[in-house]
Amino acid sequence: MNKLAKKYLRPSQIPTKACHGCGIGMIENWLLQAIDELGLKQEDVIFGTGIGCVGRQTFATWGGDNFGATHGRALAIATGLKLAQPDKKYLIVVGDGDAASIGTSHLIHAARRNLGVTVICEDNMGYESTGGQFSPTTPAGYVTNSSPYGMVEPPFDPCDVVKAAGATFVAETTATQWHQTVKIVKKALANDGFSFIHVRFPCNENFGAYALGTRDTLKNLEWIYEHTQGRKTDGSESDFVWETGIKHDASNSRPEFSRIMRDMNARVQADLAQKAAKKAAT
Amino acid sequence: MIEHKETLVAPWQEWARRSIKGRRLLEAGTYALTEGAIAAGCRVFAGYPITPATDIAEYMSKRLPQVGGYYMQCEDELAGMHACAGASLGGLKAMTATSGPGYTLMHDAYGWSITNEIPLVVVDAMRVGPISGITGAPGQGEFYIARYASHGGNFETIVLSPSSVQEAFWLTIDAFNLAERFRTPVTILTDQVISDMWEDLFIPDDYDGLDFVIPRKHNLMMPFYPVGSADLDVPPNVIGHGTGVCVSAYTHTEEGYDIEEMEAQWAQTFRLVNKIRHHRAELTRYETLGLDDADVIAVAYGANARTVKTGVLQARRRGVRAGFVRLITLWPFLDELFERDARYVVCELNYDGQLVREVMRAAPDKRKVHFMGKSAELHTVAEVVAGLDGVARSGKIPELPYIWTEVR
Amino acid sequence: MTPTAEGRTEILISGFGGQGVIRMGQILGLCAIKQGHRVTMLKSHGTETRGGYVRAQLVISPRYVDSPVVENADVFVAFSAPAYRKFFDFCRGKILYDPEMVEEIRSDAPERHVAVAATQMSKERFNNVLFANMIMLGALTRVAALDYEAMRTAMVEVIPRFHEQNLGALEVGYQLPVLSTV
Repeated sequence: MNKLAKKYLRPSQIPTKACHGCGIGMIENWLLQAIDELGLKQEDVIFGTGIGCVGRQTFATWGGDNFGATHGRALAIATGLKLAQPDKKYLIVVGDGDAASIGTSHLIHAARRNLGVTVICEDNMGYESTGGQFSPTTPAGYVTNSSPYGMVEPPFDPCDVVKAAGATFVAETTATQWHQTVKIVKKALANDGFSFIHVRFPCNENFGAYALGTRDTLKNLEWIYEHTQGRKTDGSESDFVWETGIKHDASNSRPEFSRIMRDMNARVQADLAQKAAKKAAT
Repeated sequence: MIEHKETLVAPWQEWARRSIKGRRLLEAGTYALTEGAIAAGCRVFAGYPITPATDIAEYMSKRLPQVGGYYMQCEDELAGMHACAGASLGGLKAMTATSGPGYTLMHDAYGWSITNEIPLVVVDAMRVGPISGITGAPGQGEFYIARYASHGGNFETIVLSPSSVQEAFWLTIDAFNLAERFRTPVTILTDQVISDMWEDLFIPDDYDGLDFVIPRKHNLMMPFYPVGSADLDVPPNVIGHGTGVCVSAYTHTEEGYDIEEMEAQWAQTFRLVNKIRHHRAELTRYETLGLDDADVIAVAYGANARTVKTGVLQARRRGVRAGFVRLITLWPFLDELFERDARYVVCELNYDGQLVREVMRAAPDKRKVHFMGKSAELHTVAEVVAGLDGVARSGKIPELPYIWTEVR
Repeated sequence: MTPTAEGRTEILISGFGGQGVIRMGQILGLCAIKQGHRVTMLKSHGTETRGGYVRAQLVISPRYVDSPVVENADVFVAFSAPAYRKFFDFCRGKILYDPEMVEEIRSDAPERHVAVAATQMSKERFNNVLFANMIMLGALTRVAALDYEAMRTAMVEVIPRFHEQNLGALEVGYQLPVLSTV
């Protein structure tokens, strides 16, 4: 176990049940690095997750308080929790199913409310824990176990969705960009508002095997890397490009959700007190 | 009229007798449900407006900020109940309210809240269905759904039903108390008539002085989940106090870790089922009339229990030995109220027959259990009298328009 | 008015939406509560787009009211023709009706009918139909032998504005000459 894992995680719950070569553990290490560099302690951060590979692999690894939501509802739970515990940092670590499919309405409305949480959408481009079906982020045309003739639906970009909904920090990165990811997570956690980070990572067992034809971790990472560059290692153009980096930074530009609620309460209670004083005076 | 004995078993009997200072109002059931929640210490309401529960949301949006609480209008009922669960885990008492179409969306959150032993209160103001049905008409179609509020089995639920505006107020406080003591969501199954009707309502002036309200406590140490134990009054878990608690959708260990072993599943089920089954006495709430001598006993709950009771009294005036059972606790089901070897006439607001099936199971002779189903409107007093009279005379409910008697 | 065996008084008020039917019931109910009674009020809306109705069913009793349903009204206030036709059979006592709205009444019980031209009087007196419901409430207060002063107090508590006109309208209804013979 490395130093950061020792400091922040639960020895009994790691190593996780992830498949060989899965990116989830690596990304979690990067999250720990960001948390550590910000000087945050275990009790400062509430760790929430969902269902699927990302949920199952990360739940209860965090040494502090954890919740693993029903599928898609991590942000709905976090919205209520934030009202009760407004001073905590929230890391909501979910997959593409949770964020971009079954729980998208909660994602959109958490962004609209500027809920003070950082969502890490760890995207392996399909439903891998159920055996590798396509998801709304599977690139068009790619073969999965439920798109044997190629994915015919167009995917969408969750970053565009949350930006349009009002997220105050939006970034995209991949499992091939360590330093960039750590920098982005630190910025996201410094935003007292809704931060969204889309992180693509390889699944060797399903997406790699069926869409890319290989279970080789390095080859799958290379495929991701090529698409961040728009160019294959042989120099030819890749079939599409992912623009990574910070996509939108309006950190701390508008009030956080639970802050708005508390401010309203203060206003309502001041009005009540004023009215009561007036009544007492007459 | 034949002399009869009336009994009401509910904790608010004693609460109402105390000389609490307060005021008498003419208010709606939705108002009483809201104020009952505020009095019980509810500080978060998260939900989605739906007829006939919308007024609860509106009252909450006004009242909660005044007492330092939070009203959240969510994107849907799924979000509403999950947000309540989150708030409760953070240490605030929470409630949501809905009607049938929203209620069926909450089962996801029910399962999570039941498994993780999260106290909260859910109000379902039932209307006639299925689905949207008639928005402004009462129904009683969620009797079984409220019991089986999640998939997967392996749990018991607590469901209460008020039949007056005043009772809605006290019962809401009771529901919050039970949620705390049993660490589970408690459902208030009410209906369009009780939520929309206005009635005289006593409201205490000082909620802080109500010493029967059970305050929120925090469980700050292991075991977070006393699996294998039926203990009552275990303080609820709290997120945000650095206890390292784990809350999830999986079968769990006492730490809250996910586990895939038979023993763990057994221990968790023992906890979720027996913390309720072993403490049924704490959950018994009902009203009866004339059970000592009754040949035919009318059974009802919620709004139509009121016309049914009037019908029972009229039938007795005519010389029929009629009795009355009004269930306040719907689940766990009060089998003990159906031990008398008499005929039962079950009046409920659905044509398919739900409550009647439980009475058939609990009564000594299911052939003596009769069904009087109606839909979208309360039973009239005349219908109840005709039903009781018919069963007393000939063992049959006479043919009446809009009344169904077939269960099978 | 003669209460039933259980001491129950049943009052049914019905008309179109916007005529203040529920408001009338609310004031009446609060008035009864202030005098120590138990009160229930069911309010319902007919769903028909045309010929629909708003209905308030009040039960007032010295004891807890079991059935809140008005099946035998002691007084029925009819503010519209469809309401009059729909609920006539639920009344065994007096029927107060607005002749501008209910043009045709049943011939079988003329002694039970009392015409209260509330809409017309509201227009004449206040240049506005809005006060018809309070005129009718005044008449109802007289016919049901309810406490007039208590009704005035309850009205001011329930209605936020135009107290002067509303109290005036209540007075007009309460003092109607036709009622002295009822």
